[in-house]
Amino acid sequence: MIVVPLGYVWWGSRVPSTYNVMDMGYVDVGGGSPVPMTGGTPVSDLTGPATGAPAVTVTLVARRQSFRLASGEQVDGYTLNGRSPGPVIRATQGDLVQITLVNRDVGDGVTLHWHGIDVPNAEDGVAGVTQDAVRQGGRHVYRFVVPDAGTYWYHSHQVSHEQVKGGLFGTFVVQPRDAAPAHELVAPVHTYDGRRTLAGRTGDRRLVTAPGQNARIRLVNTNDGPLVTWVAGSSYRVLAVDGHDVNAPSEIRGKAVVIPAGGRADLEITAPTDGRAARVDVGSAAVLVGPAGARRAETPVPDGRVDLLHYGSPTALPFDPAHPDRRFEYRIGRRIGFENGLPGFWWSINGHLWPDVPMHVIREGDIVTMSISNTSGDVHPMHLHGHHAVVLSRNGVKATGSPWWVDTLEVDSGDTYVIAFAADNPGIWMDHCHNLKHATQGLVAHLAYAGVTEPFTVGAGRQDVHNHPE
Amino acid sequence: MRKTYQVLAFLIAISVVLQAMWIGLATFLLIGDLDDGKTIDKSYDGNWADGMHGLFGTGIIPLLAILLLIVSFFAKIPGGSKWAGYVFLAVVVQIVLAFLAFGVPALGFLHPVNAFVLMGVAATAGRRARLVGSAAAVPAETAPAV
Repeated sequence: MIVVPLGYVWWGSRVPSTYNVMDMGYVDVGGGSPVPMTGGTPVSDLTGPATGAPAVTVTLVARRQSFRLASGEQVDGYTLNGRSPGPVIRATQGDLVQITLVNRDVGDGVTLHWHGIDVPNAEDGVAGVTQDAVRQGGRHVYRFVVPDAGTYWYHSHQVSHEQVKGGLFGTFVVQPRDAAPAHELVAPVHTYDGRRTLAGRTGDRRLVTAPGQNARIRLVNTNDGPLVTWVAGSSYRVLAVDGHDVNAPSEIRGKAVVIPAGGRADLEITAPTDGRAARVDVGSAAVLVGPAGARRAETPVPDGRVDLLHYGSPTALPFDPAHPDRRFEYRIGRRIGFENGLPGFWWSINGHLWPDVPMHVIREGDIVTMSISNTSGDVHPMHLHGHHAVVLSRNGVKATGSPWWVDTLEVDSGDTYVIAFAADNPGIWMDHCHNLKHATQGLVAHLAYAGVTEPFTVGAGRQDVHNHPE
Repeated sequence: MRKTYQVLAFLIAISVVLQAMWIGLATFLLIGDLDDGKTIDKSYDGNWADGMHGLFGTGIIPLLAILLLIVSFFAKIPGGSKWAGYVFLAVVVQIVLAFLAFGVPALGFLHPVNAFVLMGVAATAGRRARLVGSAAAVPAETAPAV
């Protein structure tokens, strides 16, 4: 009596070893017009410009190896061009960028995803969704125009929970076309084997800055959890979040800023005029901003947090989110059940367990809102590929500050955010938790445009390497 | 079958003691890691003792509890299925408490208390099985004297 329905549920939860993400779960059109799901352009055709001389050309060689951090500690992990983090890729807004990924010896295969850069779908670097993983000895060329200035990063989206953690990532900075480069430090924060590093080093480092001079710290959280950052010895401003400038950022004192896993924040620090340093602390590592030799003692984390919902000043949005064409729900919970035949306490999306999750279907040109709520008991940094969304409200409280554009939004347990975005980048896009361990546990859904078809499969691909994007 | 029931029940009770040992060890290993300058953040997967606690808590003990419940239907022990049911229920409560405690840490306070309950019911189930065994054996030996 118990065994038969239980067996049925168990059987139904199993996932074939190879599957197309478009066959996953059920179609959700968000209350909008019905969308035909047959025929159209394959993802693989939605590439960046095939012709034209690139302004920036980079080759990145991925290796599985033991290596030394810049501060000397030995790590067993992954490198790009022999180090981790990989090189900082620098481009100017509007540049055509060409990056060749070479897989020297990563047995599981690799890809590169340009986190936060709204690239054409085929350049998005998600194994089994936008390309096949690059097998050992293989290569893949990414070509795209960088549309927006800001701080971004790149990382493998093949077996990503393990490869990113092991160091297969780097940073990507796009300068505005009309501005002189700032006095800055690109500061990915990553924990290797329990060693927290800032820009690849453990401990404190310095950005030599004259008293009274401004410095820009481009913080990138490459870990799986929220990053609490605070500044001692100076007030600061949050200039940009997730590669989008904050409008009229005000001075902050005595508050920490929280950067979600995968998210970025650009801080402006003014070196104190008394000749001492300001200290940008990320916990166990810090940047000292000041003249050579200047110091600043560690301070505890302040209790206050910068609330980006009310930070900066409002300005016009490029679209009107008041009358969206589609309204989606992305309710994250946790429940007992079977996932791929395995009993456990699993993340759920709208009450369903992976792979029976919604496929959010939209049309190009739609204005879309999404309500993301979380009752799962854990924090989830939700990352929508290929788009930036603006935060409209949290728990019913409307945003009153600068438009808060995100590609990665921290949704704490108990919170509900409403975000809006314009459907302007056709393709099939992942919309998942960037605590990459949670993604392996099924906190992954997709956003699909009408008229786009999926030629790739998760599991056995066309290459002799299996695609495992999570 | 009775012997199997008894062994399974005592194995569950012993596993609960092991669980306390793993988690105690894990706590001190964690402090040792911190003393070595390591950072504990979301990328921390726990140490090997945490791993053992997880393996026993979500793998070995639930499996033993399910086996005990199945065996209880064939073991012919008065109240055997009832006590196996208590054990199973205590295991379910223990796992639910553990996972809910990630969101509501205060529930972590009840997780070890329920562990004592689980150990108690498992040990009782085992002892009852042993008593049935000796009760069955005693009349056979003493029968001629009666």
